[in-house]
Amino acid sequence: MQLEINDIQGLVIRGYSNLPAADFLILSITDGAAAKKWLADIQKDITPGHHKPKETAIHIAFSFEGLKQLGLDRKALDSFPMELEDGMTTRHKQQFLGDFGNSAPDNWEWGGRANEPVHMLLMIYAKDAETLNACTQTYMAGFSQNGLKLLQHLGTTVLYERKEHFGFRDGISQPTIKGLSRTDTNENCIEPGEFILGYPNGYNQFTPSPYVAAAMDHKNLLPQSSVNGMHDLGKNGTYLVFRQMKQDVSLFWKYMDKATQNTDGTNNEPAMIKLAAQMVGRWPNGTPIVVCPDGEMPHMQEDNNFDFRNSDPHGLKCPFASHIRRSNPKDSLDTDRKTSISVSNKHRILRRGRSYGPPLAETLKPVDCLNATKCDDDRGLHFICLGADIGRQFEFVQNAWINNPKFNGLYEERDAITGNHHNPQDPRTTGVFAVQHPGLRVRHTDIPEFVTIRGGAYFFMPGIKALQYLSSL
Amino acid sequence: MTQHGAYSIVVDIKSGMQQPLYDLLQKIDDSGVEDNDIIPFKKITTIHFARFVILDACKDAYGKDIPAQLAFTTNYDLPLNNHMQQMISVAGRGLWQIFSMCEKFPQGAYNASMLELYLQNQSLEADTFYVGVGYRSVQQIHEEHVLRNAINDFADRNRQSIQQQPANTTRQQIIDYVHSNADLAFARTPVPNASEKWNVSFYGKLIGLAILFIVLLPIIIPFVIVWMLIVLSIEIREKQVPNDLTKDHIRELVNRETQLVQAQFSALGNVKPGKVRLATMMFLLRMTNFLAPYLFSKGKLSGIPTVHFARWLIINEGRQMLFLSNYDGNSENYLRDFIHIAAKQLTLMFCHTEGYPKTRLMMFGGAKDAEGFMEWARAKQIITNVWYSANKEVSVDNVYSNSKIRNGLYGTMSETEASEWLRSI
Repeated sequence: MQLEINDIQGLVIRGYSNLPAADFLILSITDGAAAKKWLADIQKDITPGHHKPKETAIHIAFSFEGLKQLGLDRKALDSFPMELEDGMTTRHKQQFLGDFGNSAPDNWEWGGRANEPVHMLLMIYAKDAETLNACTQTYMAGFSQNGLKLLQHLGTTVLYERKEHFGFRDGISQPTIKGLSRTDTNENCIEPGEFILGYPNGYNQFTPSPYVAAAMDHKNLLPQSSVNGMHDLGKNGTYLVFRQMKQDVSLFWKYMDKATQNTDGTNNEPAMIKLAAQMVGRWPNGTPIVVCPDGEMPHMQEDNNFDFRNSDPHGLKCPFASHIRRSNPKDSLDTDRKTSISVSNKHRILRRGRSYGPPLAETLKPVDCLNATKCDDDRGLHFICLGADIGRQFEFVQNAWINNPKFNGLYEERDAITGNHHNPQDPRTTGVFAVQHPGLRVRHTDIPEFVTIRGGAYFFMPGIKALQYLSSL
Repeated sequence: MTQHGAYSIVVDIKSGMQQPLYDLLQKIDDSGVEDNDIIPFKKITTIHFARFVILDACKDAYGKDIPAQLAFTTNYDLPLNNHMQQMISVAGRGLWQIFSMCEKFPQGAYNASMLELYLQNQSLEADTFYVGVGYRSVQQIHEEHVLRNAINDFADRNRQSIQQQPANTTRQQIIDYVHSNADLAFARTPVPNASEKWNVSFYGKLIGLAILFIVLLPIIIPFVIVWMLIVLSIEIREKQVPNDLTKDHIRELVNRETQLVQAQFSALGNVKPGKVRLATMMFLLRMTNFLAPYLFSKGKLSGIPTVHFARWLIINEGRQMLFLSNYDGNSENYLRDFIHIAAKQLTLMFCHTEGYPKTRLMMFGGAKDAEGFMEWARAKQIITNVWYSANKEVSVDNVYSNSKIRNGLYGTMSETEASEWLRSI
């Protein structure tokens, strides 16, 4: 099935590494009619998938409340999945995603229980800060007279060597969407319906897609839905998960330092970096530790073509609880190899996150971060991912793999980097991380939370025609 | 070694008593399932898992009414008599209070022997019973988890000194530690293995069946072929019954999944009409019941590594299937495991209920239709009013790893073996 790439928002196709500057504007719709008029005006700005922009790219997505605010009818709203409707902050979702303690949605800066409802996300990408600023200002100037209110202006930062704040190269492992021109290993090529509505998914089925009654689509903008008498509102759209993750870089490296100090209390830099790399599963430059357990290699930094089962069955190279081994377990799940890969691939996500806030140290070198004195700036990652099924993809990965202490035979180890240890039922409020050895493991305890959730929401990112439809409501 | 039983009772609720019963069960849940005054489950030490489920009044596949019913089930350590006595001595009055809202229950003041008689007479045999925790008692699972944690804490405390020494030296230190700790006295000796007699009878049955199967093969083959053709023709003709599912139903179900490690699943469905269906289903369930201890003895139900116990009950004269399971994780990943790992095997068991995605020869299709399967499963899933787990912090995988750690405390080991054992800690 040919991908209708000109109807798909370009962010699904590419992450815009050539447009390093970005702003994310979290908006509320105060006047639906005015907002629709504005939408109709700006929809020409939205970057479709067949464009390869060199200056700017603009994308837009709506929360469930936002769709309601635009005046979408009840029946159409009901056809959206429960995840979008319920959002991230119900009691169940809090439990499911593990947002407790400082990460509890009561404490968020936006999208939380105490905040104004989020309706819309406008994403602006540009080739440099100046272009971005001009573009963002132009949009912002028009908000108030167009029934829009800016709730949060989330800026971003490009860090040295495209690393994230802890100093590790990020966004390396991405699935390749079948049907695009990119080539990849068979195992990493994923059916387009896993990420774009309206195409066959990993089960060779169509992921349920929202629809509107044919009679409501006066201009006949939308294609036929598989549901009788309906038009497909989801076609070429996807869902977007946004989580603002604050990172405490100083705490991170202080922990690694303390856990690996020499007996005389001096810093052991290689050991400190190795422990952090074991928690991540990659060396700072991106080299997978399962391939190079002794140190990073310049030519291996983007390597994804590795497995766990045969090369590291006992976790001696890459510990069982490391971040990459649990966020994409590949062939290491407790089934046969083929089943494990196929199961893992039912839970893939396209990551489009960007860092924000100034780096603790410009170089991002661990020792520089450790010795930095001014640590109180706000910094972190705007985690953004795309997928056709929020429940089966993002939520599953977060619940069953990342934050599950029993993941794949473990006992009490959550993700050492992003795990949350404040579930009220949990006997301890800190993390545990075991590094496997040929004999007895070395277990690191009292791991604090390095990452705190500060905001978040689920969005529907419509296809271009669906966007036209929404603005014509 | 301990063997397990699946106690089940499904009885009609007296008319007008469904709400008071619901309220009473809610009270158990609200005031703490472990130590409430009505059924203080924690004190019934023979129970691994237990639940109360109210089955709403409904219609069967023929449109005939089925009244509201109460199901009470336990997964317990045999013998039954011991379990029964314990339930009655600890929670007799609570059970009396609950079942007095049900039909055929004796009238009047509390009477322990009348209660026992009722619980025995009304009980049902599970048609398929799966045990994922091997031959371990509630106590053994608990103790071995305590042991594993203690050994880990010991290893952490002595990390510096035991890092650089031969594996057998470390192992001996751990053994000495266990022997010196009064709380771990249970671990000084291994759990006895199955007796010779038990093994003979266990494998004898399997061999007996295999011989019978081979001898009867000339009859079985044509019979199975004809039977399959009949089933296939039924499958082709069968009308698909739509599943009635709302988002609110799913919300109500998942909102009750609040445990950190484990969750439960209760599902009730109508058996599809027809005698061939019923006979085929009963044969498959009973056959699985017989073979399960041989096929799924390593804690994996058709490859699914997270199920502690599961049972299939055919109730109301073969008109309904009640499925109950206890597992690690949550219902979303549990159902995904069904689809990803055991689609064919579980389709064979479940395809006899209405609304199940269309099958061919009871194995093909079915759960391969992931959307259809999820919809069916959620539509048939019902609220579990009270759910209790004795070892709620232990996963199936942990149960096996803990025993492996314990078993490493006995006998002698080569340096390599000792090293391997240390790795499992």
